Amino acid sequence: MREILNTLPIYIALIAALLNLVRRQWSLNLIALVLQFIFLIPSLLDLFPIQIALIQPFTGIMVSLMLYLTLHQVGGIEPIKLNRSLTPGEIFRALAGIFLLAIIFFFLDDFQKAVFPTVSPELLYLSFGLMLMGMMQLGTIREPLYLAIGLLTFLSGFQLLYSALEFSYLLEALFVAVNLILGIVGSFFIVKNAESRLA
Amino acid sequence: MNNTVLLFVALPIALGLLLILLERWPRFSAFLAALIPLSLTGLALVFSQSLNLNFLGQQFVLEDSLSVFGRNIQIEANQLGMVALLYFVCFLWNLPVKFFDYNHWFSSLSLIISGFWVLVQFINPFLYSALVVELIVLISVPLLSPRGAPAKAGIMRYLTMQTLALPLVLLSGWMVAGIETSPSAQALVSRGAFLVLTGFMLWAGVFPLHSWQPMLSEESQPWSYSFLLVIMQVSLTFFFLHFLNQYPWLRNLEQLGLVLKWLGSLSIVAAGVLAAFQTNLKRISSYIFMAEAGYTILTFAYIPQGGLDIITMSLLPRIFGLWSLNFATSYLSKNISSEKMELEELKGAIYRFPRTSGLLIISFLNIIGMPLFSLFPSKRILWGIVIADNLVFQILGILGFLGFMIVILRTLNIMIKKPENGGQEKVEKSIMILPIALIVLIMVMAGTIPQLFSAPIQNILLSFNNLFP
Repeated sequence: MREILNTLPIYIALIAALLNLVRRQWSLNLIALVLQFIFLIPSLLDLFPIQIALIQPFTGIMVSLMLYLTLHQVGGIEPIKLNRSLTPGEIFRALAGIFLLAIIFFFLDDFQKAVFPTVSPELLYLSFGLMLMGMMQLGTIREPLYLAIGLLTFLSGFQLLYSALEFSYLLEALFVAVNLILGIVGSFFIVKNAESRLA
Repeated sequence: MNNTVLLFVALPIALGLLLILLERWPRFSAFLAALIPLSLTGLALVFSQSLNLNFLGQQFVLEDSLSVFGRNIQIEANQLGMVALLYFVCFLWNLPVKFFDYNHWFSSLSLIISGFWVLVQFINPFLYSALVVELIVLISVPLLSPRGAPAKAGIMRYLTMQTLALPLVLLSGWMVAGIETSPSAQALVSRGAFLVLTGFMLWAGVFPLHSWQPMLSEESQPWSYSFLLVIMQVSLTFFFLHFLNQYPWLRNLEQLGLVLKWLGSLSIVAAGVLAAFQTNLKRISSYIFMAEAGYTILTFAYIPQGGLDIITMSLLPRIFGLWSLNFATSYLSKNISSEKMELEELKGAIYRFPRTSGLLIISFLNIIGMPLFSLFPSKRILWGIVIADNLVFQILGILGFLGFMIVILRTLNIMIKKPENGGQEKVEKSIMILPIALIVLIMVMAGTIPQLFSAPIQNILLSFNNLFP
């Protein structure tokens, strides 16, 4: 039971990333992004005291809020339609995402022992899962919001991994700056696209 | 401001942010954006001998380090040559900006970006600079994505590729930390070197990871794009030397030289061959950047044979050559009202813009290293070393060179064709003769008297003391 409770946040964060990869509904994607950042907290608490562990999720939630406000401003927020059937593209992305997660799962032990012996397998699974979901997102889209979400997912996975390897306040500050500016860039793209549609 | 870090990093970034407020007065803002980096270049050169300066009886003493979040940022006197060069690039690109269509963010962001590139060189531990590079990439987005147009594929690929480089570079340092004490860890060293090289290839757009370059150049204004690429290439040159200087496991790696030779030669040949088939001047310009990156990488491979001197010798001529090429491209782009810059649109350009068209052709000849021009001396020395080493690399280089010769002849052929609908009257302003004559004169003088460009920066790489034989 305890083990399930320990690993549950990891799977929720990965499912949120998978949802972002598969579905193309802006409101749903932003909610999934927020969930993804919230469920990083237990893994970060294993590494740091709470004041530091909250920095990354808090920044992620701020960026999600920034993207939400921008989308709201340009009229891009629509009610969530959960009963919409999956398109062939969505099915392909879902299968590809699950396949990637399965591959990491099967090779995790050997990989952890060979390359990252100091990092726990659970944390390694979460961080590599997020990085690969982000990369997959970046490779399959052309819409700016999904570019921002893909980059945020990729960077959050990498930040988690690197935090387990080395900690520095300067590094943490730089990651925060990168995430915040990424949010601004995402908003910039969303506004630009909306403006050019109107023109 | 009694600290080099505050003076050469914090101050320009702060001034760049202030320039955003002056966006309503673009001429004044552009003037300040040229004046500030020029002043910083001057100051960096003045303090590059010693941080203790006596001027008109007044004593000026600069501290060389600043602690930020428990880590040290340090700029010593002998490193100020690099700072001066980076701000000189910023100055060069802000100087003629009113001649062209330019992004209204250019003045402020160019200064901020230059400040961050300076920061990249001097953070300790220097691997953290990878995150500053990511910040620069994100900040440069408004310059590369013009107003009124949706975000296109090039800018997205650029962001993606640059972001992928970040973990590679950061992890490489962690992976081989303390490796000096374990000489048997050859596999780990190879893995670390692979990560570093791939990271740099993604950053610099080296073949075969170059696809973002032509796409991005086609979407962006040539002046902004060229600034970002030039300052990036110069900074990454210093940053890679930092890696080599700092990490004995990397510079002592046996296969590194061979890998660099292949990467450099393949970049040169791929750039030349791909450019020969292009019909768009902006895309051709991006392949020139790729070829120049290839030459720099090839030079890294020959560091034991005097590669550092070749780098020093080629820095200013390369910057100036790319500047003049993009000067001509941007001027023509504005005056023939073409955003795309297809070669066909240059039909008859030699009659309407004789001086700028001439400058374009001369700049092409200069950048490929033709005799008499500024890049000839450094490329001649490099090819001399390459011939003595391996004929295969020489053949690849010649193929790349021929590709660019075809580009030049094709461009010239189109420019001298008379347009069907007349339009042969000269529309170029007579005043253009002055800057263009000066540019060509400098190119020729630097080709015939190479010391002209290399003497002012001859000590620029002295801080990489582990790389000197």
